[in-house]
Amino acid sequence: MTARPYPWKRPRGWWLRNPRYLSFQLREAGGVVSALYGLILLNMLLQLRAGESAYTAFLDTMRTPPMLYVNLVLFGLVVFHAVSWFMLIGKAQPIRFTEKPIPWKSAFAVNLVLWLGVSGAVVYLIFGGL
Amino acid sequence: MADETQAPEIASMWNPGRETVHADLEAAEPEVLMEPMIWGLFSLGGFITAFLFPVTLFLLFFAAPLGLWPTDPGAFDAFAARWADPIVRLFFVVLIGGSLFHGTHRLKFMLVDAGAKSPGVQGFLDVVLNGLAILGTLGALFYALSGWLF
Repeated sequence: MTARPYPWKRPRGWWLRNPRYLSFQLREAGGVVSALYGLILLNMLLQLRAGESAYTAFLDTMRTPPMLYVNLVLFGLVVFHAVSWFMLIGKAQPIRFTEKPIPWKSAFAVNLVLWLGVSGAVVYLIFGGL
Repeated sequence: MADETQAPEIASMWNPGRETVHADLEAAEPEVLMEPMIWGLFSLGGFITAFLFPVTLFLLFFAAPLGLWPTDPGAFDAFAARWADPIVRLFFVVLIGGSLFHGTHRLKFMLVDAGAKSPGVQGFLDVVLNGLAILGTLGALFYALSGWLF
């Protein structure tokens, strides 16, 4: 008698059955959207090299109302990806400076503070401030 | 009563599980190099994307059209002036490269979860998606260096 294999199959729509699974999939989608924005930024650099009219046309297209709404949804996924990434850092790889690992909520809070600081630095160092 | 002890020469003749292992064995397992490197770039890209993308996208595409910022950091004059700074060029290379390595790796495993499980398909996805990340990063590096070094 030969052993029958029982390959585990993930049921259809599994990610809709539990809020945690949905959150996982939204973070995955946010990660993929970040690659899409990477390509959009690459195209922006291409248009910048092509000159003012090409760059302005690109920027105007990105800011037309339909594109703006699509961008807002995609931006929401990128922000969700960022926040959930900060949440999972303390869980996936517990940080041990002390005898017991630091609670994930503390790691999350530290990451949020760092995020604010880094964002401020980007505003001033990369975009020249207000 | 049977003698349970064996002479030393007999014990060395039959000793399963204790075969001598040579460090220079030719048939050794090949060292895994690419997979940890790709996962490392994925993780690094996750940090880069999480920390840097929201503020950058907000300033370039949303701040001015939604009236949430006093200036327009994405406008040609403002951005072209900032682009002259090497730190700004390095920032965009890191941002584009990190996001591409992170996002393409995520996309691969979303497709694997969706059913693209065969080794051939996974190999194809590896080539296409990692190739996209590598070419995109090199493209960003090219734009960052052009007009500055050549």
